[in-house]
Amino acid sequence: METLALGAESVIFRVSRWGRQLVLKWRQTKPYLLKEIDSQLNKTRTSRECKMLTVARSLGVPTPTVYSVDLLNHTILMDYIEGIQFKQLANTLSSNRLTEICHQFGHLIAVLHRGDMVHGDPTTSNLIVDSKSKLWIVDFGLSEMNATTEMKGVDLHLIRRALETTHWDLEETMLEATLDGYLDTLGDDANDAISRMSEIRERGRYH
Amino acid sequence: MPLICLGLEGTAHSFGAGIVTDSGDVLSNEYDMLKTKEGGIHPRDASRHHAELGPSIINRAIEVAGIDHKDIDIIAFSRGPGLGPCLRATATMARTLSLKLGIPLVDVNHCVAHIEIGCLESKFQDPVTVYVSGGNTQIIAFSGGRFRTFGETLDIAIGNMLDVLGRELGVGFPAGPIVEKMALEGSNFYTLPYSVKGMDLSYSGMLTAAKKLFSDGVDLSDICFSVQETAFGMLAEIAERAIAHTKKNELLLTGGVARNNRLTQILEGVAKRHDVDFHRVSPQLAGDQGAMIAWNGILQYNAGNTLEIKASNVLPKWRTDEQDILWRV
Repeated sequence: METLALGAESVIFRVSRWGRQLVLKWRQTKPYLLKEIDSQLNKTRTSRECKMLTVARSLGVPTPTVYSVDLLNHTILMDYIEGIQFKQLANTLSSNRLTEICHQFGHLIAVLHRGDMVHGDPTTSNLIVDSKSKLWIVDFGLSEMNATTEMKGVDLHLIRRALETTHWDLEETMLEATLDGYLDTLGDDANDAISRMSEIRERGRYH
Repeated sequence: MPLICLGLEGTAHSFGAGIVTDSGDVLSNEYDMLKTKEGGIHPRDASRHHAELGPSIINRAIEVAGIDHKDIDIIAFSRGPGLGPCLRATATMARTLSLKLGIPLVDVNHCVAHIEIGCLESKFQDPVTVYVSGGNTQIIAFSGGRFRTFGETLDIAIGNMLDVLGRELGVGFPAGPIVEKMALEGSNFYTLPYSVKGMDLSYSGMLTAAKKLFSDGVDLSDICFSVQETAFGMLAEIAERAIAHTKKNELLLTGGVARNNRLTQILEGVAKRHDVDFHRVSPQLAGDQGAMIAWNGILQYNAGNTLEIKASNVLPKWRTDEQDILWRV
C-alpha cells in the first residue's frame, strides 16, 4: 500500500486488488476537533462522496467507480485514475490545449449544475487528465444535490478563486475558457449562476 | 543609525501609533479602541475618535520610544481596507506629518501588515496565514509575487459573528473573550450548521441557529461551547485545505481572534497532522496596532515603494492580492 497524498480531510492510498490499481480514501479521526463534529463529518462526507461519485457519473461526468465503502472506518475503495492533476499540468500546456481542457472543465461543471448538483470544491487539484487526454473530476466530499442558484454561484466563485490563487499567470485565459465551456453547455440558463458568482465575490468584505 | 518608521493604524475602531526600527525592534506601540455601549462601530464616531485622540497617541508613541520627532525617517499609514472615514482621518495625520517633517510617506495594506509582523515575530519565511479578526476571516499565502487569499468568509467575519452573538446573549462587547470563558463551562454539544465551501466558509447560518438555541432557553455556556467548536472546526478545515493545496510548511495565526486559546489548540493540532511549524502572534501584535504598519513601512521603503501625497487617496476596498509585494521577490 503506497501513500499518494495527505489531504485536508483524508489520506489517499494506492492499493492493488483484484489485479487492478485502486485508491483507498480514508477519513482519519482528528483528535483536535470535538469528537461529535469529527465523527459526524467523517460519516456524512464518506457516504455523500460515495453517492455523489455515482450520481455525477450517471449525469455524464467521468468519475472513479466506487467498489466499496465502510461507514464505520470512513473509507472508500475506488478506481485509481492514471493521469496527472490538472493543477500540475496547466503550466506545461500550449495555450490551445489549455483552453480546450478548461472549456471541457466548464462543460463538466455545467453538466453537474444542469442536474442540480454542485461539486463543492472545484479546484484544479481535483481534476485529473488521463493518458488519453480525458478529464476526470474527483473528490466529491463537499458536493451537494438540489442545488440552488446560490450554490451554483458559489461553485463558480470557487473556480475563479482557485484560478486566481494557483494559476495567477494564466487566470484570464483559464477563467474565460472555463466560463465559455459552461455557457456553451447551459446557454441562457448559465446567466443566473454567473451573475451570482460576481455578487458573491463582493460579500464578506470589510467596506 | 537605524532607520526609524512611525506607523499609523486606523482602519476600524482602533487608532494606533507604533515606532519600529529597520532591525525589527518595536520601540513603542500605543493605541486606543473606541468602545460603545451597544458594541458595533459607527464609522463617523470612530473617525472622530481617531481625529481627536490621534495626535496625543502619536506623541505618546514618540515619548515611549524615547526619540524625538526629527528622529523619524519614514511615516507609514494603513491605506486600506477599512472604513472610509476612519482611513481618511488616519491618512490626513500621516500626510501632515510627512509634509511637516519632510519625510517619505508609505502606504500599507492592513492585511499584509498583519502577516509581516507575524513573520517578524516568528521568523517564518513563507507561512499559510490564518487571519481572524472583527472584520476579517482570511486564509492567505504568498504566491506569484503577491499575498493571495486562498479562502475567506462568504458572509460575516468570525469576530463579527462572535460580537453579534454576544450582543444577542447580552454578554457585552467585544464578546470573543467572554464567549471563550463561558465555553469552558459548557459540556453539551448542540449541532449547528457547518458550512465549508471549498476553501471558503460561511458563518451566518450558524449564527442564526445559535440565536435560535438562545430563544429556546438552552444554557448560555453550552451555546458558547457549541459555537466555538463549530466555528473553529470550520476554520481548521479551510486552513488544512490551504496547507494541503499550497504544500507550505509554516502556519501562522494572527488577528484579534488569535487570542483565543481553543482556536490556537485546534490549529496546533492541524499543524502537527501536516508536520508544519505553528506560531500564534502574541496578543500585543495580533490585534490592530501601529507597530505592524511601521514594520511593513520599513519593508516597503527598503524596496523603494513610497507614495506621493497627491496620489495618497485611501482604498477602503483594497484587496490583499492587489499589491505587488516587492520586498519578497
